Amino acid sequence: MTLWDGVVDAFRLLGRGDPYLLDVVRRTVLVSGAATVLALVGGVPLGYLLARTRWPGRALILAAVHTGMGLPPVIVGLVFYLLLARSGPLGRLELLYTPQAMVAAQVAIAAPLVVSFAAAAFQSLPDELGDLLHVLGAGRMRRLWLLAREARLGLLAAVMAGFGAIVSEVGAALTVGGNLDGSTRVLTTAIVLEASRGEYARAIAFGTVLLLLVLGTNLILTAAQQRGR
Amino acid sequence: MRVEIADLEVVRAGRTVLALERLVIGSGRVTVVLGPNGAGKTTLLRAVAGLERCRGSVTFDGRPVRPRLAVAFQRPVFLRGTVRANLALALELAGISPADREARIAEAAGVLGITALLERPASRLSAGEAQRANLARALALRAPVTLLDEPLAGIDGPARRELLGALPAAFRAGGGTVIAVTHDPAEAALLADDLVVLLDGRVHAAGPAAEILSAPPDAETASFLGWDTIPGEGGVWAIAPGALRVGRGEVAFSLAVERATVVGGSPVVLGRIAGVPCLARLGEAPPPAPGETVSVSAPRSAVRWFPGSR
Repeated sequence: MTLWDGVVDAFRLLGRGDPYLLDVVRRTVLVSGAATVLALVGGVPLGYLLARTRWPGRALILAAVHTGMGLPPVIVGLVFYLLLARSGPLGRLELLYTPQAMVAAQVAIAAPLVVSFAAAAFQSLPDELGDLLHVLGAGRMRRLWLLAREARLGLLAAVMAGFGAIVSEVGAALTVGGNLDGSTRVLTTAIVLEASRGEYARAIAFGTVLLLLVLGTNLILTAAQQRGR
Repeated sequence: MRVEIADLEVVRAGRTVLALERLVIGSGRVTVVLGPNGAGKTTLLRAVAGLERCRGSVTFDGRPVRPRLAVAFQRPVFLRGTVRANLALALELAGISPADREARIAEAAGVLGITALLERPASRLSAGEAQRANLARALALRAPVTLLDEPLAGIDGPARRELLGALPAAFRAGGGTVIAVTHDPAEAALLADDLVVLLDGRVHAAGPAAEILSAPPDAETASFLGWDTIPGEGGVWAIAPGALRVGRGEVAFSLAVERATVVGGSPVVLGRIAGVPCLARLGEAPPPAPGETVSVSAPRSAVRWFPGSR
């Protein structure tokens, strides 16, 4: 049976340290990891602002963020493709079909998830906590850091949602990355390639590795999240 | 530090929740803002703390710059970690050196009776313990201005009496200006140097606590302070709590007796004066029967007449 063969194959490849597989896994982690970190750097402070402050346009941005959570990755990929293509407005950067382009597109996919989860996490804290730190004289960054520690359950959920969404997306990775062997091939695009070649067992093997990767990441994050509970 | 509030107005959802023309909080004094729920007390405190969007000005020793403030909100909030860590963080943010922090924590914890709780995670405190830790954090700061919202909320029984006794000394030791908010006139009487009576977003009385408590300036204030307010010809009589007694005296009323009982260890008569429920001490007189009308009176110093009030 192809499905079972694939799963067994996954462990065989992992067991003998298949260089091709490890290369793809390494790139997957680097690209999606970098995109997650960048989405957090921008998304957590924005989530904080959306949760802690009131200003005109806030509801509009929240609605836009929530809409962004459902954006199909292939659409995001297409937009970045058009921006980065040789004839596009950012064509001179020559970023199309590079890992950097994949990171950029994946940031755009992860950011709405991160912002939304972060805003919900900060909003679940009592308002008095932020007010207290403000009155006691904590600066903006100190306040953000102290409140982020309080909201770590929700923020780690934001990390898991963001990373989970982009490590498993194929639309943007394929459109702006191009699935070039040795430079932009990641697990999802490798799966697409193997499946199109009729190598179903290999496709399942790569799929299994992807699943293990997400499981492993979430195990580590969940352990961190639940520590000291 | 002297706090001066001028032309302060807070509007929420189209409704004016607070409107103060001018209010001066004396330097180094304990000012209690007293009023019923929804009077705007917390809003006033938050406006002083700079947490409320408002019109008008709040100045500190004449300058619009907020000094370091200490605050205890009505709902005690803490960060993760022990009570000690929470107090230490507040002191650190206030720029207190690590060496001084320990001494300040020990002292404040002693006053509030939470020394044994210092190593406990703040998330595991009971409501009363959390409230005391909340106060300890504010007092340990010894800030030029300390803001306390319902400082004794959630603390009752002997602990409450103990704190009511200990807090004034702790305030004086801190040396700063204290603004505390409460809905309880008895608590205000025990804590306050000065009193601000806030009713429906407006200041009805402001001044030395003893003056306001013994001679409320208007009928609404008197009523809120527990005085019996009795409608009369073209005005309102206000009688100090506990001043009425059965028998003839300087200012007399007639009481329609409903029943006799014992309050605070003394025999009293419950009934109505001009339809308003009142209570008169019975003294040595024999208890009147329900339905009877008896003459009750109060000393002139315990009765106020507010013409034009209803």
